[in-house]
Amino acid sequence: MGDVILTMKGIDKSFPGVHALDHVDLEIKKGEVHALMGENGAGKSTLMKVLTGIYSKDEGTITYEGKEVEFSNPREAQDAGIVIVHQELNMLGHLTVAQNIFIGREIMNGKLIDDKRMNEEARKLFDQLGIDIDPKETMSRLTVGKQQMCEIAKAISHEAKVIVFDEPSAALTEAEIEELFKIIRDLRDKQLGIVYISHRMDEIKVITDRVTVMRDGGYVGTLITKDCTKDDIINMMVGRVIYEDPKTESAVAKDAPVVLKVEHLNAGRMVRDVSFELRKGEILGFSGLMGAGRTETARALFGADPKESGDVYVNGQKVEIKTPQDAVKCGIGYLSEDRKRYGIVVAKTVAENSTMASLENYMKGLFIDKKKECQVAQEYVETLKTKTPGVDQLVVNLSGGNQQKVVIAKWLVRNCDILIFDEPTRGIDVGAKSEIYQLMNELVAEGKSIIMISSEMTEILRMSDRIVVMCEGRKTGELDIAEATQERIMHAATLRD
Amino acid sequence: MEKIKQNAIVKKIGFNSLVLLCVMILLYIMFAVLTPMIKTNASFVSYARLVSALKYAYFLGFLSLGVTFVIATGGIDFSIGPVMFCAALISGYQLTSRGWPLAVCILICILVGTAFGLFNGVLVSYAGLPSFITSMASMMLAKGLGSVFTKTQPVSWPQSEEPGGWYRNLVGIKAGGMEIPTGLILLIIGAIICAIILNKTMAGRYILCIGSNREAVRLSGVNTKKWETLAYVICGTLAGMAALFYVGKNTTVLPGLGDTMNNEAIAGCVMGGTSMTGGVASIGGTLIGVLIIALLQEGIMAMGFQIHYQYIITGLIVLVVVWADLRSRRRRN
Repeated sequence: MGDVILTMKGIDKSFPGVHALDHVDLEIKKGEVHALMGENGAGKSTLMKVLTGIYSKDEGTITYEGKEVEFSNPREAQDAGIVIVHQELNMLGHLTVAQNIFIGREIMNGKLIDDKRMNEEARKLFDQLGIDIDPKETMSRLTVGKQQMCEIAKAISHEAKVIVFDEPSAALTEAEIEELFKIIRDLRDKQLGIVYISHRMDEIKVITDRVTVMRDGGYVGTLITKDCTKDDIINMMVGRVIYEDPKTESAVAKDAPVVLKVEHLNAGRMVRDVSFELRKGEILGFSGLMGAGRTETARALFGADPKESGDVYVNGQKVEIKTPQDAVKCGIGYLSEDRKRYGIVVAKTVAENSTMASLENYMKGLFIDKKKECQVAQEYVETLKTKTPGVDQLVVNLSGGNQQKVVIAKWLVRNCDILIFDEPTRGIDVGAKSEIYQLMNELVAEGKSIIMISSEMTEILRMSDRIVVMCEGRKTGELDIAEATQERIMHAATLRD
Repeated sequence: MEKIKQNAIVKKIGFNSLVLLCVMILLYIMFAVLTPMIKTNASFVSYARLVSALKYAYFLGFLSLGVTFVIATGGIDFSIGPVMFCAALISGYQLTSRGWPLAVCILICILVGTAFGLFNGVLVSYAGLPSFITSMASMMLAKGLGSVFTKTQPVSWPQSEEPGGWYRNLVGIKAGGMEIPTGLILLIIGAIICAIILNKTMAGRYILCIGSNREAVRLSGVNTKKWETLAYVICGTLAGMAALFYVGKNTTVLPGLGDTMNNEAIAGCVMGGTSMTGGVASIGGTLIGVLIIALLQEGIMAMGFQIHYQYIITGLIVLVVVWADLRSRRRRN
């Protein structure tokens, strides 16, 4: 490790209602790989966005190569030599590799683009990195791993001095990760500063020199990787005080009937051989890190996405769920994590949204019985305490929490017995949050059963009777609430095969 | 302004429709004043001119009502004009060259439209093809099929006094030198039925919701494919009906035409406040939009200009309306 190249000190950033970064420090040296770790929402991405000028900071200083800097956009940061290799690749699939690398700064020959020279230059970059990719190949024909290599080549062509890898291994195979690590080590030996964001504990041990841990937007500490254990890092990541009392024991009787049984569900890369049971009156928490395959499991179960194999039993009966229609017929309702896209029709009224899944029960002959529709919508506005001027209000005018209640109303009107809540409180303010929690408790008390997918550890521990933990498309743990702790969940959530 | 918008009656009819209605009346007054100024001895204000303008509005109106359903789902149908011609050619050929009874031919005419609608609908919603391309393709199919069926000969439907000429009563009934515009009555009845379907039935509800947020509707367990297909079927069927009103006005159908009708029908629909992105549709607006286009066409002819001026004006109006729609949408977001 050499001299310090980049220091971020006391970085503070607030968004309306959220203190996203609370005086965070980060120091990167030349020739080191520095891991940045933390749970979902700990503020890692926000910090990197502040670094590259996507967000402006409220407080704090960034010192780069001995000078205080403040970039106003990623382009400026790039020109100065700070480059991010994103998790989602920003590649244009129909262009060639070389064209992608030189996008926005094409090598020109007079007024024409000089593809030949761009290919030569790209070739030189790949040789430098020791990778074998044909610069003339169309980008979309490369594997994700190779595309990532191209991103790295692009970063180097900017004469980067600091490269930030944002979860680079998330989509890579074992062999590709090996290759990636080789390149990262090469870059380190060339005295570049490398920030490596990842959830994968074992990778951190293999590739990084130091680890900075963040939690809830704050700075927890920096460790030297070889001197610490995996458990040290996990403890730093989760070591927050839980303000809400977690559930201590399951409220569900041991002999409660199984209402939903899923066996060996497979759907793409993100759902691999998932099996679980849901009991009557139970809240089954699904925990895991971002991209663990929880939403994909729910969507495959619900018929929203095609599944490859797997059996589903509802109340002991084997059912074929191929479309959401089938699922709804089986009494399953799904509340998506992305309300605006998948939950509500924002340009329609509260009443229209409420009966969306059960309109056939609100018909008078050929016509919609609008009176009955408004009545039932009004009934649920009152039970759920939805704040709306009336049931004829367009949903777009409601706040996030109240929109969520409209989605819940939609499934309650349908009288679904099994409800899948996917991130039920995402983007909802604190007050509305506890109302949603209370509502979920009331629902299970009435005998409904809930699958709750959540990335918030506190939410999982507070609400669940039992917890399924997933990692990379597989179920890696199942814990009764009585035995569940943050550490045990986090351990299972980082369990790779 | 806000006060007017909040008025109960205005709300019921729709503010945009009212504005459009005013535009239509102003246009009529403008033509009434300008026509004698530009062309000596010409007049716009006459029953004959009004009936002529209306006759144009009948078939265009049925096309436009139909395509309103498709646009409400967020799709588009560019085949309706040629489909209308195809239906008129096929059924007219059976009527005149093969001597089939009129009632059967009317049914065939409508069913040809329905068939094209079903074809488009299945391809768009079940096979997942983009509606733009699908309807472009079926536009060419309709043109070609119609021409091939009549061996590329034009078809002239019978005059009212000839056998099988009864269909002309659909457009107008001559009684004592005056002509009763039955077409207008039928168009209004058609529009009312369309408005009921769109606003009061399950089909209309889901068609509009699909246009607004297809995925949310699908995830509510609704068979979105079925309802989307239905929108195209309604559109095709109405195009088949439009064919009867077209021949009632023009008698002769030439093979290989009809594209311009799409554009005017879609223009009428968009002018009426139906959003091209789907989810918002107004049958009343469509009706007035169509009347405006018919009025424009008649007025420009009355002033002795080339009909092509009408295209320019319609084009400009559509641009202004779509731009205004986009602006108000952005402001709302």
